[in-house]
Amino acid sequence: MNVTQLAEQLRRDHMFMKDVTRWEVLPAREARTAPFPACMDGRLKPALEARGIHELYIHQVKSLEATARGEDVTVVTPTASGKTMCYNLPVLSAILENEDARALYLFPTKALSADQVSELYDMIEEMGVDIKTYTYDGDTPAAARKAVRQAGHIVVTNPDMLHSGILPHHTKWVKLFENLKYVVIDEIHTYRGVFGSNLANVLRRLLRLCEFYGSHPQFILCSATIANPGELAETLIGRPVTLIDENGAPMGEKHFVFYNPPVVNRQLGIRQGSIPITRSISGMLLKNGIQAITFARSRLTVEVLTKYLKDLVRDPLGNAGRVRGYRGGYLPGERREIERGLRAGQVDAVVSTNALELGIDIGALDACVLCGYPGTIASAWQQAGRAGRRQGTSIVFFIASSAAIDQYIVNHPDYLLHKSPENALLNPDNLYILLSHFKCAAFELPFARGDAFGNAPGTEELLAYLSEQGILHEAEGKYHWSAEDFPASEISLRSAASENFIIIDITDPARHRVVGEMDRFTAPMLLHENAIYMHEGRQFQVEKLDFDACKAYIRSVDVGYYTDADLNISLSLLDVEKEEPFARTAVAALGEIKVTALVTMFKKIRFDTHETLGFGHVRLPETDMHTTAMWWTLPDSLAERMAGDRLKNGMMGIANLLRIVCPLYLMCAPQDVAVVYQVRSPITDKPTILIYDNTPGGIGLSHKAFSMKELLLEKALQVAEDCGCEYGCPSCVGPVGEIGEDGKRTAIRLLKELLK
Amino acid sequence: MNLMDRIRAVGGTGNSRPSAPREVSTDCRHFAVYREAGEFPGAWDLTAETLRMMSSREIPEPLDPRKILYLDTETTGLGGSGTVAFLVGMGYLTDNGFEVHQFLMRDYPEEPFLLKHVAAGLEKFDVLCTFNGTTFDVPLLESRFLMNRMDRGCLNLPHLDLLHMCRRLWKLRLGRCNLGRLEEVILGKPRVDDLPGSEVPQRYFTYLKTKRMELLEDILKHNAQDIASLCVLLNHMADLYLHPEKIRFSEDVYSMGRALEKTDHPEQARHCYRLARRGRMGSAAGTALAMSYRRSGEKDAAAEIWREMVRERKGGAVPYIELAKYEEHTRRNIAAALEWTEKALMLVSEPALREDAAVQETKNGLQYRRQRLLRKKAEGAVIHGDSDSDEGQQGHEDPEKRRERAGSAEAL
Repeated sequence: MNVTQLAEQLRRDHMFMKDVTRWEVLPAREARTAPFPACMDGRLKPALEARGIHELYIHQVKSLEATARGEDVTVVTPTASGKTMCYNLPVLSAILENEDARALYLFPTKALSADQVSELYDMIEEMGVDIKTYTYDGDTPAAARKAVRQAGHIVVTNPDMLHSGILPHHTKWVKLFENLKYVVIDEIHTYRGVFGSNLANVLRRLLRLCEFYGSHPQFILCSATIANPGELAETLIGRPVTLIDENGAPMGEKHFVFYNPPVVNRQLGIRQGSIPITRSISGMLLKNGIQAITFARSRLTVEVLTKYLKDLVRDPLGNAGRVRGYRGGYLPGERREIERGLRAGQVDAVVSTNALELGIDIGALDACVLCGYPGTIASAWQQAGRAGRRQGTSIVFFIASSAAIDQYIVNHPDYLLHKSPENALLNPDNLYILLSHFKCAAFELPFARGDAFGNAPGTEELLAYLSEQGILHEAEGKYHWSAEDFPASEISLRSAASENFIIIDITDPARHRVVGEMDRFTAPMLLHENAIYMHEGRQFQVEKLDFDACKAYIRSVDVGYYTDADLNISLSLLDVEKEEPFARTAVAALGEIKVTALVTMFKKIRFDTHETLGFGHVRLPETDMHTTAMWWTLPDSLAERMAGDRLKNGMMGIANLLRIVCPLYLMCAPQDVAVVYQVRSPITDKPTILIYDNTPGGIGLSHKAFSMKELLLEKALQVAEDCGCEYGCPSCVGPVGEIGEDGKRTAIRLLKELLK
Repeated sequence: MNLMDRIRAVGGTGNSRPSAPREVSTDCRHFAVYREAGEFPGAWDLTAETLRMMSSREIPEPLDPRKILYLDTETTGLGGSGTVAFLVGMGYLTDNGFEVHQFLMRDYPEEPFLLKHVAAGLEKFDVLCTFNGTTFDVPLLESRFLMNRMDRGCLNLPHLDLLHMCRRLWKLRLGRCNLGRLEEVILGKPRVDDLPGSEVPQRYFTYLKTKRMELLEDILKHNAQDIASLCVLLNHMADLYLHPEKIRFSEDVYSMGRALEKTDHPEQARHCYRLARRGRMGSAAGTALAMSYRRSGEKDAAAEIWREMVRERKGGAVPYIELAKYEEHTRRNIAAALEWTEKALMLVSEPALREDAAVQETKNGLQYRRQRLLRKKAEGAVIHGDSDSDEGQQGHEDPEKRRERAGSAEAL
């Protein structure tokens, strides 16, 4: 059965359709093209024509024209719109015209770079010219590195390698820096938050070195659809860009099905889980031979779903290679193999985290299932874009979980279908991040008094501080690095923690093998002792977690449950930046706090029924994070008027409402902000509701929340009042079982009081 | 909080120190050390010919040993463009002794002056000699010249990196070959009161802040000693290359044979292998000797060695296999080839032998060879096509041949 037939069959199925809240058909779109522009080098034409390309899409033409005018450009295009041409054509043109010209390509992941390079190779081979393209990353053999440094016209790498492998050793890259004509950065929408703030600083360092070597590179940036691609690009590179956002590529018809699992307990407002529904929809696609990708939100869900789907197609020997799991933490070789399998059609179903959201080439799939809302509109479209490329019908299922944000989306599909996607926020001037990169910059090239660091503020203070610390040594107006450390090794661009945990399978005592890795913040949650760690649907039990050595030892097991850890958070105040009266009696404030996270226990949850089987203790050290926060402090008089648990329940209700509202109005992913309530806060000594940036140093969400402090509460009140439930449900203040019978009423009363 | 306080809060405060009054620099400091000729036995007799046995670098002819510059740097870190060579020592033989000239920058503004002295020094010499200079000192100096926008051409001298040369000779026996260990074990002169290299950067940073010259005395001493050791070590090695019979360790003389093969001195290499055959490295030396003969086409000489090894029960199955090849392809004696093959098979099938992948591969190769020989025997053929020879084998390539090829690739 093909996709069109399947869609028709489902639409006639009343049992299915009763839970579908919207069936949107996005019509096919025609291609819009223009002839090769004059600024494109003539030698490219035959190479393009040999590949059957006689005209370019309009966005490709505009990119060529703008770069020829010397502008920095940002191209916004959805998946599979020929965006690589937007940078390959100008870059190849430039190198054909001047063989000394160099280009640097940055991709967020290694997998992506491998992919794009093979496309570039094809073009170069077709032209029969001597343009050398090399990938430079952790996998580049030491023997090949010299050639890359000397002779590579196009050096393909990732921000991490640029940060720690290239910039600190710039004197070995003289040819590149002296002749750098283009810097290409793909998938810039992934550079949000900490990663983006880090990249912006890496680019400040890059441009500083280019200036030393006398080159002035232009930027070509590519982004998926987000609300503010131009702003993001300008923040990243610190200068204005030309935005190209007209997409000329064609697209096949696409069905977008919003499915809300049926309510199974009307009193408690409990719905059937999204995992079993996803299991049956993905299973149906698998049985009908429709190649599909299923996106799940957590690594754990990926593993659970992979196991379910594998069980459907297992052969008598227990092999189920047609179904694969894919997520961060799998080793690169295994991931490449899965990607190849998808392209070659040997893999029929893949279950993935957002790791496959990026432009990794896995070919055109027919269908996509989103198990839960991925958190942002941009992500949802990226994931949905995995199904259906230029022609042919494709289908996307969105399966809502009982999480409030999912319920909001499934009941207001227009929010996803028509609202502009989120802003990508980043803050290059986050002091933690800025200071780290400023050190790297000082190591790379001494600062002279009065030198700027891109458009970063406070250069003078940073120099004074580092001199005071003896890290820089000032002599005759120049600040020289005078410490033994290699500052680039002290920061990891992707998270605040630099070390990863490695996961070692000790099932076979004679052959220990590394099966994966995990970052320091996630490890306590998933790799604590006795946790069930799942890898490609296989279960392992964590035997030992060596926290200091960053190693987890696991052994293969076969049990009927998985584990889920509880995270305990405590907060302490570092500094108050602003404090002002709010409404008549409350106070609103903005400041810096320390968040201490501790995993203390875990639950064992049975497969299939998802019931809790038991608990276990976890003994691990705490992890600290400094970040920015904003909070509302309620007057003590309120607390006195509310007996027993009433205040606590009401505050919990407000916190739950803010968790729904914040991502929508702060335009961020739910995991980027945290909402916490404290009946007696150690910070204010009063009942307090806090919102904080869930990244070290903060990326500006708390500041934004502070400026919207009335609006956020108004919207929270509106969600509570608009909700049809009587005593609370997961879509507003939370389920009755959690907040008590008076929780919803109290929350509304408190909000009204606060907004008076 | 003002910005300065916020930076302090984020970055932490710990090691802030007062800074010293600044000196105005006109040039960098220069120290000279003189040493007696007696410390450097044989150094004035070193020839290009001897160096060519030790290294595959282009050595100018004729070589004046006084035109070799021994260089060592002391640095502020382990690399990257923020690492600076604050002290560069350069030593050379004179007519009647050894001179070391050290250039020290008392503060960063003196770096260009230091580099100018280094460039001027390098200009006067034909060969550069360092310890680990190819990966450390030279790239670091290149980087410093570049950062100061100075010409790096002076560094393009023929370069003898003693680390690599020493590793070839002594790694097999000693494992790690750092200069301190070589001085102790090879030259028999352990250092006393030496400043550990890891403490050098911190000493210098403290000096920068306090300008107390005595902090650097240990570093200057250490650097001068390193440079003198380079010269002693090079000439000690040269002596051993000229008189391998002086070498007491089978491992070392075998290693020298391997090194000589790499520099394309097969005759001298065989001499070393012969010397090594009596010791612990007997099997390896015998194998290497026979292989060396085989490569130069002296197949009978190689076979003689293999036969000796069989008699001495050295080298495991290798001599049997090699003799089988020799009988089959060179002597065209299928019956003898078959006999050697059968014996080799018996040897690798010994139950005491651990069954790993390499053994399995050898076994498969032998089985294949045996089948082929049996077939040839049955055909009674003495004439055979190329496709049947060892060279024609695709699926079951002789592991020995593969190893050999890998070895020659390494030498390239």
